Amino acid sequence: MASSSATEAKNFVMLTTSDNADIKVEREVAERSILIKNLLEDLGGESGEAIPIPNVNEAVMKKVLEWCEQHRKDPPASQDDDSDSRKKSTDIDEWDQKFMQVDQEMLFEIILAANYLDIKALLDVGCKTVANMIKGKSPDEIRKTFNIQNDFTPEEEDQIRRENEWAEDR
Amino acid sequence: MAPPPSFTALPTETLEAIFQHLDPRSLVSVSRTSKHIKQITFDSPVIWRHFCRTHFKFWAVHHNISEKFAGPLSDVDWRELFIYRMHIEKRTTQLLNKVLQRQQGRIRYINEIADFGDDAKETLLQEGACPDDAEDVLARRYYANAILERIQRERAIRIWKGISNGADISLEEALGAYDLFTRAGDHVDLDTITSDLDRLARELLQEYQGFTQFSTRRQAEVLAWFLRDKGFQGVPNPSYRALRNSFIGLVLQSPDHESLPLVSVAIYCALARRVGLDARPCGFLFHVYCLIYAPKDHTLNGDYSPTNSTELDSMYIDPFRSTSEVDQGDLERMLQEMGVPNSEHDAFLSDTTTQELVLRTARNIMNSVQTIRQQDAGIYGVHSIWLNEYPDMDNAFYAALWAMLMLGPREEEQSGSLSNISTRRRQYLPYLLEHFQTHFPWDVTLLEQHVIPLFYNQPEGQRLLAFVHSMHNLDSMRKPTNARSTPTTQRVKFHVGQSFKHKRYHYEGVITGWDTSCDAGEEWIQHMGVDRLTNGRNQSFYHVLVCDKSVRYVAEENIAPVSHSTQPGEAMLRLAGRYFKRWDSDAHTFVSNVRDEYPDD
Repeated sequence: MASSSATEAKNFVMLTTSDNADIKVEREVAERSILIKNLLEDLGGESGEAIPIPNVNEAVMKKVLEWCEQHRKDPPASQDDDSDSRKKSTDIDEWDQKFMQVDQEMLFEIILAANYLDIKALLDVGCKTVANMIKGKSPDEIRKTFNIQNDFTPEEEDQIRRENEWAEDR
Repeated sequence: MAPPPSFTALPTETLEAIFQHLDPRSLVSVSRTSKHIKQITFDSPVIWRHFCRTHFKFWAVHHNISEKFAGPLSDVDWRELFIYRMHIEKRTTQLLNKVLQRQQGRIRYINEIADFGDDAKETLLQEGACPDDAEDVLARRYYANAILERIQRERAIRIWKGISNGADISLEEALGAYDLFTRAGDHVDLDTITSDLDRLARELLQEYQGFTQFSTRRQAEVLAWFLRDKGFQGVPNPSYRALRNSFIGLVLQSPDHESLPLVSVAIYCALARRVGLDARPCGFLFHVYCLIYAPKDHTLNGDYSPTNSTELDSMYIDPFRSTSEVDQGDLERMLQEMGVPNSEHDAFLSDTTTQELVLRTARNIMNSVQTIRQQDAGIYGVHSIWLNEYPDMDNAFYAALWAMLMLGPREEEQSGSLSNISTRRRQYLPYLLEHFQTHFPWDVTLLEQHVIPLFYNQPEGQRLLAFVHSMHNLDSMRKPTNARSTPTTQRVKFHVGQSFKHKRYHYEGVITGWDTSCDAGEEWIQHMGVDRLTNGRNQSFYHVLVCDKSVRYVAEENIAPVSHSTQPGEAMLRLAGRYFKRWDSDAHTFVSNVRDEYPDD
């Protein structure tokens, strides 16, 4: 019995969020985050202490871990996906699409957390989701969507329109 | 507590990451929302380089794009470059539409597009794949493809010109120029050839660990073995002369890798260079071997053997036939049997130049094309054998003529030795001009830039200059119109676009123009016996396009319109785009694209 509980302890880690909540999570799941993975390796895996995550609150952390749980078996991202693979950037798999159906505040929180925790695939999904909210919209519609203040003068607006004539109908 | 995150408060790098997933147009929209966002989109080379990378597959040579992509991000104004390319796309489409609209200025517009080089390739490929129901589908496909071919021809010619100017050009590039010249398309470029060879080299080093430590002799044999193992086994006898066997890019891409000895050797040498083995082609009589050299001060078996001589230890191999070494004594005996005097043996046993291999390839291509034509001659009469050949045999022959002109020996180089048996350049000129006039009149600028200088100060040069001049003039002028407003023109029975069978020669053709009476010169009229026709020279005569790619001039009495159930053949559909917009099956006619000349047809 003793040995089995030891293994169990080894397979779980404790995370402390910015609002001081402790979250117990399987190590494999938590290690989707490169930041946490590196921290654990530095600690040598022996210490049972909670790992502080001062930049992410409980609600966001739970959401992020939900994603990590779903994607725990994904192969690690390849480094050279710079060229063709990104061209089909609108493609987001179905589960991720559902997962990203949250309010804007949460969406940005997830993106910031993914960036901080170094979870590239989640960051990518977040960025794609935002990109999809921009695609095909006029500047006015985009401003409305994201509550952006228009700070151009009419002259400036005119100039920027001319600078971008190349993008109009081809 | 920090304020809740908002879009504009996201870190710049996160916004950049988001924007990289946008299409350019959406990026422009978002950049117009606020000053802060505009700043990020304009100043982010990462985004624009990413757009350059993902939006365009082909780049004109002058961009040196792979160097740019590999170099520091800040060395290039990526936004400007991207906008430039977008501009070229737009301009290409505009110019192509002008090409399709009327005949006047067509050559000029085609050449304007061609000047964009590979920057126009993607647009042309897209236009060439326009939907079947496009209003001008045949014309659009025909000219998009013709311009693409024109662009690739120019690249090939420049490669050969480089060789003749002594530039350092690899064997695969020199021979790959034939692929460029004759096979317009998505997968035809030198990068494909290079990456095919690079891949083979990697496989070789993987499969034979320690290859670089082997002795030269063992390396030579392993490489020959490796290539045969990968399917590069020359060619079985019956298809020896097949046209496609002369094209290195095609050989690398084809599943059976059949090739002529010359191409087998070229591939062998190209791979050898990649893995550090010194192999060079040897231009034997009627065959090409490979000469392999040991490094200086070493024997082929890898032993250290210092020497003052500059001569390297060497061996022969014949990758086309086998994997084992060829004995030099055997080669000498063969030369003797073929009657080559001993004093000339050296020329056939030493390594040869890239230029010589390009010329040999030209002769091989000419032989292949002639074989195809001879096999066809006399059996069937006029028909479209060209459809069954890939690469296109007219393009291939034209390529060989250009290579001969660019690289063949000049008169002053004629020394009469056996290695110089090729005839003078000017002999090829009439054939080149004939091909050019029949199939590629828009090559007039290539003629100007690359052929006329070869005949500078010679009578041909002057004549060519005058000819080029008149072609440009004709192109810039409106075509005279042939309306059907007078009784004589109304008597012309058939209209432009009519499909027919020739009553005597039975070939398939389509009418592209007409005259109210025979308008050819007196000499032609006499030669063709026009006056022996029932209706003589005063009947309507038609300019026609024939399924074998020729254009002919036919008397009305020999035109037999085809029945309504007869559809045009594939050859006709491929060729018709030069004069017609599309085939209208309800009206059973090709829809004219020469209305500027024949407004009522």
